[in-house]
Amino acid sequence: MFKYIVKRILLSVIILLGVSLLVYSLVRLMPMNYVETKYASQIAQGTIKDEDIEHFLGLYGLDGNIFVGYFKWLGNMIKGDFGISFKYEKPVTQVISENMWISFAIAFVATILQFLIAIPLGISSATHQYSARDYTVTVFTMIGLSLPTYFFAAIVIKLFAVDLRWLPVGGIIDTGNSYDASFVGVFSKLGDVLYHMILPISVSVILSLGGLMRYTRTNTLEVLNADYIRTARAKGLSEKTVIYKHAFRNTLIPLATMLAGILPSLFGGMMITEEVFAIDGIGRMAYKALVEGDIPFVMGYNMFLAVLTVIGTLLSDIMYAVVDPRVKLVK
Amino acid sequence: MAKKQKNTNYISLKESRAIIKYNMKQMKHYEALKRKKRDVSEYTATMRDENNIIEIDGLKTCFFTDVGTVMSVNGVSFDIPKNKIVGVVGESGCGKSVTSFSIMQLVQAPQGQIVDGAIRFNCDELGYDADGKKQCYDIAKMPTVDMYKIRGKDITMIFQEPMTSLNPVFTIGNQLDEVTLLHSPETTKEAAKAYSIEMLKKVGISMPEHVYKSYPHELSGGMRQRVMIAMAIAGNPKLIIADEPTTALDVTIQAQILELMRDLQKQQGCSIMLITHDLGVIAEMADEVVVMYAGRVIERGTVDDIFLNPLHPYTVGLQKSKPLLSSDSNKPLYSIPGQVPNPINLPDACYFKSRCTHCVAKCNGGYPKTVQVSDTHSVACCLFDKSE
Repeated sequence: MFKYIVKRILLSVIILLGVSLLVYSLVRLMPMNYVETKYASQIAQGTIKDEDIEHFLGLYGLDGNIFVGYFKWLGNMIKGDFGISFKYEKPVTQVISENMWISFAIAFVATILQFLIAIPLGISSATHQYSARDYTVTVFTMIGLSLPTYFFAAIVIKLFAVDLRWLPVGGIIDTGNSYDASFVGVFSKLGDVLYHMILPISVSVILSLGGLMRYTRTNTLEVLNADYIRTARAKGLSEKTVIYKHAFRNTLIPLATMLAGILPSLFGGMMITEEVFAIDGIGRMAYKALVEGDIPFVMGYNMFLAVLTVIGTLLSDIMYAVVDPRVKLVK
Repeated sequence: MAKKQKNTNYISLKESRAIIKYNMKQMKHYEALKRKKRDVSEYTATMRDENNIIEIDGLKTCFFTDVGTVMSVNGVSFDIPKNKIVGVVGESGCGKSVTSFSIMQLVQAPQGQIVDGAIRFNCDELGYDADGKKQCYDIAKMPTVDMYKIRGKDITMIFQEPMTSLNPVFTIGNQLDEVTLLHSPETTKEAAKAYSIEMLKKVGISMPEHVYKSYPHELSGGMRQRVMIAMAIAGNPKLIIADEPTTALDVTIQAQILELMRDLQKQQGCSIMLITHDLGVIAEMADEVVVMYAGRVIERGTVDDIFLNPLHPYTVGLQKSKPLLSSDSNKPLYSIPGQVPNPINLPDACYFKSRCTHCVAKCNGGYPKTVQVSDTHSVACCLFDKSE
């Protein structure tokens, strides 16, 4: 087991190198670079000289070819320096760590809610296959799955925030409010944040229920038709024990591995949801940075995601061995 | 004939909708019946003969499929006497397994339902009625909730596929203890463990403590089938249903398992309903034999009746198609010509008619009556029906 994990970690170093090269090349191949975006109006008016542009490109490390740039970035990265974000004018690691937690909070609550709702729904719709309940659950979760985030979020904002005025339109705290560091201040700030989080969390839960629910349903159906379920029934166990002990432990195998696989989405933020609700989470930061060609930030963000993905897959392999006694990690 | 074939192989959209509508209605009806809380008197009956453990009377189990209703078990009647091994033979799809699942109420619901007939189970808990007749449960009418008490305790089952019949994520010990803890709730965990290990010893597992802690995937097929047998005898059952217990095992293990089952049957004093399509196994193990064809019992008798004096042309055909070591190896093995009729829209005549070489004029009439040839031997064939 230990050997296996060490081997996987060494392998992932190579994967990460490949990922960084690919991402760097892609960002550099974008038709616009940061300097041209920033000084677009001056360039159009002709108020900036070509030499100055060249000078700026040199300053931002955007001169020279892709490989020179990449190895320069790689060299700094190995030393632990991810560079300074062009757009946010702060070290990349600082920007990520500052904005990660709000995204994490949203994703964490949303994921827990999603699992708590989707798994029981999936199981009950499998045990009542082809019943009215099954069809209703399937239709509604499928509607959720097929709605685009920006569309659904816009409708929800229009309905609950603009028309009914029950909930705020966006942001994290009310613009007018300021809170001191006292006990009361912290708690009322927390309450304000939670109040602002209701809509984004609901939207992301509703939109992601479908996949997990269908996944649980299919797995449960497959398990319920297995021979050992018949054995469990033949023992005289009640239907509840059969489903929630014998079937559920087996349904859990693919689900547990999926749980480990969602690690990157927990920390990576939700670009569109955050953008629509104007939450300065990491997803929105990355989106803005990408649009403007902020190479250090885009690289840092993508490497962060890549590391999380690698850890996530490793975790899911370990989870397999934990939940399924037939799997042994030896190699 | 051509028209009939068209009907069974191709159905129009309208017909299909009608079938689905009918099926939904039927399934709802029977599922509701199984869930309904009922008074005990509604599913108790009296035994015809108190020396029987099970009396099946006119059992009909059908499957509501998208192409129509399949009568898998179509009026089966036979008894399982106490302390006897009853063999049920027949080819694949003749309703052997469905009969056994009906006894356990384990037919794949909601598509499969017991629609008619009675399965009377002689239960010691119930006394005698006013007329001095032994009272019993009618499993065909029993609500599922009450069935939990019988399953795994009074009637247990050994399945065909030992490789997939044990839950892969629980240890053998866990799965064995479950039976004991469920049916005698006053047992402590330690006592249940000791009992499970004793059961494992009983079925001839040499390292019971080790096997107790193992997971199913760590055992061979034969070992797993032994564990299944241990599970089946753990509740001290009155009837063990063995649904082709040796089909998935290799021949040497087959003999061991069969011997084990026979020994245990003698020790425990229970009955076994042995389902198989292997006539050799039946000849060796069974006291009585039931031959089934297309969802019906066509011949019933003691082993001697069936093997020495087979009457129904199908039974005769079955015997002829058994390979023998002494037979001339150059001659191809006999096989009964033709195929089993489509289980949807069965004709109102002997189902074996189209494959039978002994047909008489009477065969075109309704389905042949069961004729009692001797005290123990009965057959459903027009050849032996002397009445008009």
